[in-house]
Amino acid sequence: MPDAAERVVGTLMYTVDHSIEGMVHGKLVRSPYPHATILAVDISRAQASEGVLRVITGADIAAAAEIPNPLFGLARRDQPPLAMEKVRYAGDPVALVVADTPANARAAAESVMIDYDELPFVVDPEQALASGAPVLHELWPGNECGEWRLETGDTDGAMAAAEHLFESEYHSPMASPVPFEPHVAVAVWEGNSLDIWTATQWPAAVQGELAHMFDVSTERVRVRTFPLGGGYGSKSQLKIEPVVAAAARMMGRPVRVELDRDEVFLTVAKHPAKMWIRTGVDASGRFVAREMDLLYNGGAYAVLTPKAVAQGMLRSVGPYRFPNMRIRSRGVYTNTVPSGSFRGAMTNQCAFAYESHVDEIATGLGIDPVELRLKNLSCDGDRFATGQVMHDVHFHELVQDVTQVIGWNDSEPPPMSGRARGKGMAVILKTTAPGSRSEVRVELFADGRVLVHTSSVDMGQGVLGTLAQLTAHHLGVDFEAVTVLDPDTAATFDSMTAGSRTTHVADRAIREACESIRAQLALFAAEQMGVDPSELRFEAGSVAGPRGERLRYSEIVGRARVSAVVGEGVYQSAPSDALNEPPDVRGVVADHWHQGAVAVEVEVDLETGKVELQRCHGAAWAGRVVNPIRARQQSEGSIIFGIGPALFEELVVVDGQVSNPNLSDYMIPSILDVPIELTSSSLESADPDADIHGVGEMTIPAVAPAIANAIARATGARIRHLPLTPERVLRAILGAEQV
Amino acid sequence: MSQSPTSELTLIVNGEKHHVEVLADEALVHTLRDRLGLRSVRPTCGMGICGTCTVQLDGSVVSSCLLLTVQVAGRPVVTSEGLRSDDGGLSRVQQAFVDRGAYQCSYCIPGMVVTVHACLSENPDASLEDVRDYLAGNLCRCGTYVSILEAVTELVESEADDRP
Repeated sequence: MPDAAERVVGTLMYTVDHSIEGMVHGKLVRSPYPHATILAVDISRAQASEGVLRVITGADIAAAAEIPNPLFGLARRDQPPLAMEKVRYAGDPVALVVADTPANARAAAESVMIDYDELPFVVDPEQALASGAPVLHELWPGNECGEWRLETGDTDGAMAAAEHLFESEYHSPMASPVPFEPHVAVAVWEGNSLDIWTATQWPAAVQGELAHMFDVSTERVRVRTFPLGGGYGSKSQLKIEPVVAAAARMMGRPVRVELDRDEVFLTVAKHPAKMWIRTGVDASGRFVAREMDLLYNGGAYAVLTPKAVAQGMLRSVGPYRFPNMRIRSRGVYTNTVPSGSFRGAMTNQCAFAYESHVDEIATGLGIDPVELRLKNLSCDGDRFATGQVMHDVHFHELVQDVTQVIGWNDSEPPPMSGRARGKGMAVILKTTAPGSRSEVRVELFADGRVLVHTSSVDMGQGVLGTLAQLTAHHLGVDFEAVTVLDPDTAATFDSMTAGSRTTHVADRAIREACESIRAQLALFAAEQMGVDPSELRFEAGSVAGPRGERLRYSEIVGRARVSAVVGEGVYQSAPSDALNEPPDVRGVVADHWHQGAVAVEVEVDLETGKVELQRCHGAAWAGRVVNPIRARQQSEGSIIFGIGPALFEELVVVDGQVSNPNLSDYMIPSILDVPIELTSSSLESADPDADIHGVGEMTIPAVAPAIANAIARATGARIRHLPLTPERVLRAILGAEQV
Repeated sequence: MSQSPTSELTLIVNGEKHHVEVLADEALVHTLRDRLGLRSVRPTCGMGICGTCTVQLDGSVVSSCLLLTVQVAGRPVVTSEGLRSDDGGLSRVQQAFVDRGAYQCSYCIPGMVVTVHACLSENPDASLEDVRDYLAGNLCRCGTYVSILEAVTELVESEADDRP
């Protein structure tokens, strides 16, 4: 990375480090109740506290003429910047105290007095669907937050005719992405124009939604961000930007809000899911039918849940052939933390279910789980469950890679007494994000420098380095000459940095921009040399003429007397209306298919139930690797990230309250949780121009099912609830009821 | 509610003396970041678990979120910025991280660097196990641990080779 030294020393600028002249500091006051009517907010004591400039409530925002559309949300506009009339989860922001210093804002926040009238609340999705359940949003009765169906073939007929039927239910709990840099934003208005710096993965979404909120044109909202201190989905969609922009608007001065750690836990969580699966298998071990019912807890606000549950449904199809399939996928509102993106979004949950289920089928049939997979995996040219023909499909290669590295059929020395050892694996499919667009502008200057304008966000994946490398490659210049600028919606549009899409789409947009620059250089050079453009040849950083003459790019630009040669490129994913109208999904649902696999070896302590990962290997289909170091970081980082939700991460809700919103009670993997032997492969095509596949999330969904399968093979105990805690493992080994 | 009382004191940070006025209940991490502009020191968990605010105090690694600034008056504090050589060049540990590409979002990396410095000054021949144990209090959510271990163990090996 060009900024490697700054990253390692610690001088790299993040949004949390950004300050602007005259800014004041906001501290949110949050609801202690999961569901309650706000009767009164007494701000008098807070308002009189030292340094306090203003205390803003939801009612103030509702009444503000300059905020005509206060509700926001990309799938449904159901979320206020501050709660209006009622609170919908414990942690819902109710007021913002703005003071001269963060310390004064924090101190005064404690003296905002709010009278609540508690309402019945519901945190369990099934109870939320029951008649008579508390309703969170009057506009969406029954707490409905998205419902989709996928149906192909004659599932009932095939199930009736199947030789074997297998049926299980799996549970994936609430979890937290835990970005180390918290959500932070600073906003300033000048007239009707808003400048906001925010730690976001989706600058364009923030721009569009804030423009709607304040009823200004999108050009008047400028969103910028710095490299993120971690995202993992938590900085997708909109988070604190609306309240920060509203406060800055109402106060007429720059306002900054940085969340505390517990607030980050209360801002976004991974969708808890309950997943029921039934599979029909014929006498030869082929899957003939699959039925699934998926229920996702969306939390208190929609965020993206009504659409995300469609993604969860598509991804639950998995990497196997099913001639007959029926899936229902639902999201439901509950009085808990709003659910949103989490690395491996809407794939981790269903992959745990369907890959555990495949091993259960293998056990039931008495055949090897790898053999069963190889018999049923999708191949090039197969039709996906929506009817889309699948290409560039490499599941067999991935399974071969991970089983070979882990030594699937090797006999291992027996474990110490009191311990059991086993290997497990899993293979997953993820669809790409639908309907996305990326624009880049590349500028070549007379001094040889190349500037790349993009709104791809660097969040640890090293996108600034990757985009510089792709630009250098497509333009034919040195990597060192290229500078990729931080995201700025005033410069370029980019749908989002999410879903492992950026390298794939940026490669195409950058190639188009660079081809445009080269075409312009050819015209200039032909004129400067007095030859026909067809006689020119491009060499590294220069253009050669037919008589051996040669002009460097910088010379061509200089002689052309232009300030810069500019090329623009656009990537627009293929139009598809498959997901426009619920509930039925048909047709094209992915640009290409994300594919990954993981194999592990575990040891289980039979007295304590503790699981120790001995070895772990992951593989991603990369198509073409741009940078081997970064591809490896993504695959191995994904595995390590995945160890947490597999073995111990769970955001626990007790009496409607998150009981562990801190890094002491919510543990994430440390270096001691990582197996000494942890490796990865990025599989490539033989074609040097092969399609680049994203590798950001290909291993994480396979981690939990691979470990669960290894535990089952080691001990015979099948655990269908994540995380795979010692208590659950021990109970399962002892044959006790699952917890 | 009024602000807590302030204290004037002298800090010795990265070899330089700073006269600062701090709140009585101010954590060292906030003084280093907000008053001295040392961005490498980052509060993440606020409870001494994650290691992103790690600094050296009297040569030992500590979580600067758990220390009051008034406790460290006159005692040498070193942050990742201060580990660079006098001409601003990277320390050998920092260079090893760069060479290995042992960083992702990098929010945790300066704390890792401070810890590795302490580990290697205590034991220049630290084994893989030693380094793992030493880094158990530095969390990385991106999951860069494997590359970090490689960077440090390669550094240990190359320095062992260089010794007579």
